[in-house]
Amino acid sequence: MTITNPAVTPATVTQSATPGRNKPNPIKRFWPQYVSIAPFYILFLVFGLFPLVFSIWLSFNDWDGMGSMNFVGLAQYRFLITDPRFWNAVGNTFIIWFISTIPMLFLALVIAFLLHQNIRFKGFYRVAFFLPNVTSMVAMAIVFGSVFSDSFGVINSALQALGAAQIPWLSSPWGIKITIACMVIWRWTGYNSIIYLAGLQAISTELYESARVDGANGWNIFSRITVPLLRPVILFTVITSTIGGLSLFTEPQVLLGDSGGPGEAGMTIVLYQYNQAFTQFDFGYGSAIAWALFIIAVIFAIINWRLVSEREVGGQKVFKVRRQRKEVAE
Amino acid sequence: MAGAAGLGALAAAGGLSACGSQVSISSDPKELVLWYWDRSADPKLLAQAAKEIPGTNGYRLRADVIGGTFDTKLRTSLAGNAFIPDLTFINSNVSLYFPNQDLFLDLNSLGAEKYRELYFDWKWQLGVTPTNRFCFFPLDTGPTGFYYRKDVFDKAKLPSDPESVSEAMKTWDGYIELGQKLKQNVGSFMDITANQIFSQYINASPERYFDKSGKPLYMNSTSTIRDAWDVAVKAIKAGITGNQQNGTDQNAAWTTGKTAGHIEAVWWAQILADTAPDTKGKWRLASQPVRAGNSGGSFVCVPHTSKNPEAAFKFITWLNNPQNQAQAFNNMQLFPSAKDSFTSGTMKSNSGFFGDQDPLDFFLKAAEQVPTSFISTYETQAQYFGTEITNVESGGKNPDQAWNDAVNQTNRTLRKRGIDV
Repeated sequence: MTITNPAVTPATVTQSATPGRNKPNPIKRFWPQYVSIAPFYILFLVFGLFPLVFSIWLSFNDWDGMGSMNFVGLAQYRFLITDPRFWNAVGNTFIIWFISTIPMLFLALVIAFLLHQNIRFKGFYRVAFFLPNVTSMVAMAIVFGSVFSDSFGVINSALQALGAAQIPWLSSPWGIKITIACMVIWRWTGYNSIIYLAGLQAISTELYESARVDGANGWNIFSRITVPLLRPVILFTVITSTIGGLSLFTEPQVLLGDSGGPGEAGMTIVLYQYNQAFTQFDFGYGSAIAWALFIIAVIFAIINWRLVSEREVGGQKVFKVRRQRKEVAE
Repeated sequence: MAGAAGLGALAAAGGLSACGSQVSISSDPKELVLWYWDRSADPKLLAQAAKEIPGTNGYRLRADVIGGTFDTKLRTSLAGNAFIPDLTFINSNVSLYFPNQDLFLDLNSLGAEKYRELYFDWKWQLGVTPTNRFCFFPLDTGPTGFYYRKDVFDKAKLPSDPESVSEAMKTWDGYIELGQKLKQNVGSFMDITANQIFSQYINASPERYFDKSGKPLYMNSTSTIRDAWDVAVKAIKAGITGNQQNGTDQNAAWTTGKTAGHIEAVWWAQILADTAPDTKGKWRLASQPVRAGNSGGSFVCVPHTSKNPEAAFKFITWLNNPQNQAQAFNNMQLFPSAKDSFTSGTMKSNSGFFGDQDPLDFFLKAAEQVPTSFISTYETQAQYFGTEITNVESGGKNPDQAWNDAVNQTNRTLRKRGIDV
């Protein structure tokens, strides 16, 4: 802030008070400031903008990564639209996203709510719930591989002991998706609940106290006070989970390998992109997939943005709830 | 924050300016850089070459282990024409480099032809490009055989000594029949997946997906691919494959005897010994149906930018002379491609895991049977066949539907890459 302020004032002064005088060259005058912000822009140009523009160019070419590039126009996109494997990956991504995000956010909210109560060993639980998020993914895949393994896994052994039929977790389409969803839930629930916890702590305790005085039980407090007041925080976690869900890669890759497992049931969009670019060395098509994902992400950004704009309605709802409560209290 | 970012930018700028000028990794004119991956060469030999490559008048080798995505890293440096090693190993997927073969030297121009007789012909041929340039020199090989659990075969009251098992599965029909008995008597499988049978069938065949001119062969009704497919489907229907699609299941299956067999290359013995040590002494080796194949094995080549191709070639022929290949086998279980390694008398057979059977003897006989074949660069585009055979096994997909899907998808992808189908 202290750097930008002097930059603004002289500019306005020269413009309004002394229009006839030679303008001092801003680059000469503020070079220390420009140099100090340059690293970000240089790094962005090299590692951000260049790859971005290059990948657009690549998506119009056929390139194996080392030979000459061959311009093919829109052929990659035409292929993409009629590629059943791409659409399978899109479908998988959305199914996994759906069956992981909803239970995950609900669980996270419940955990955050419980952690917010006056319980013993609060700090321990907070760390414990956050731990999965910092666990090595490869170690996790080995554990999940053993737990869900078809004929020797812990879960199937338990099912067998109970007399139930075994489920081919890692070789059937739904088994694979559920396993991946479980990995996502296991990893991100604690992370989201910490965010919710921060949101909860911002809610005034007076509201809770008065609700308790009014005779509200735990569920009433949770559904009538906690959830409505956490709405912006929930929205934030929905958006981040959407981004995370659309770019799901590591879980299926370490669990099933580059091919997405039997029937490509665990093939997500980003895994397919990786598969095409780095195991098939088809960089043009990989780039086209990346841009298709970009378009999908934009569509979701618009949907999210609409949800945000409807916050007014949400606010009124909260207000209404409060007013009702007030009426009851009166 | 800004300070750290500034340092980063300076480092990046420094790296970038270096990019423009340096083609080789090392600026030392007497130092040749080799890229290889862990366990693909005998460290003792590399250490010797680090002092001086024999017969080169003071050239030294710097061997860099490249971890992770080897091909991507090599291709990146070749595409950028910067920091290219003077010598590099390439895995069994050399055909991937055929379209850009100009980036590697034809080793015949350095006198490779006179070494040809030393090596298995089929291995030598795998390093020859479709335009007859010999760019990829033989390192180790991977002759295959049928690994099986003798104790499980005994329990199933089946013939269990290597000769009888080999005899019983001379043909693929015999193999499936034996598998059915095994399944019936003790409930064990002949191999982990149908995909394994499918690919090892192809690995043991003179003909593969494409001919040398790039013409697809799989669509012919009598093609190897179609035959391999039919055998795999038959095995699925007979219920002799385990549908064990992930590593955890496979390892557990070998330990418990749920899967009592596996067709794989010589290097698999080491993996098996590491993952299922308790099964030591229970395994035997039998000849797989029809003939042995090759699975894996790598190559070494000289990029066109190499500092001194003659010295690089000296290193290649020295590293791969029969004595040194024998030593690499003793130290690293790299199975020789040089025929005289086996007669040198220095090779130590690492038995015990196979009871009284000598695996070295077995795989030498297998290596002599491997047919000469051509692996096309387009085979990476033909991966759908393996995917679809797995769909048949694990998803119960209709085999005819799966075959048509595999052919159509492959053709579509080939057309996209500009190949006429």
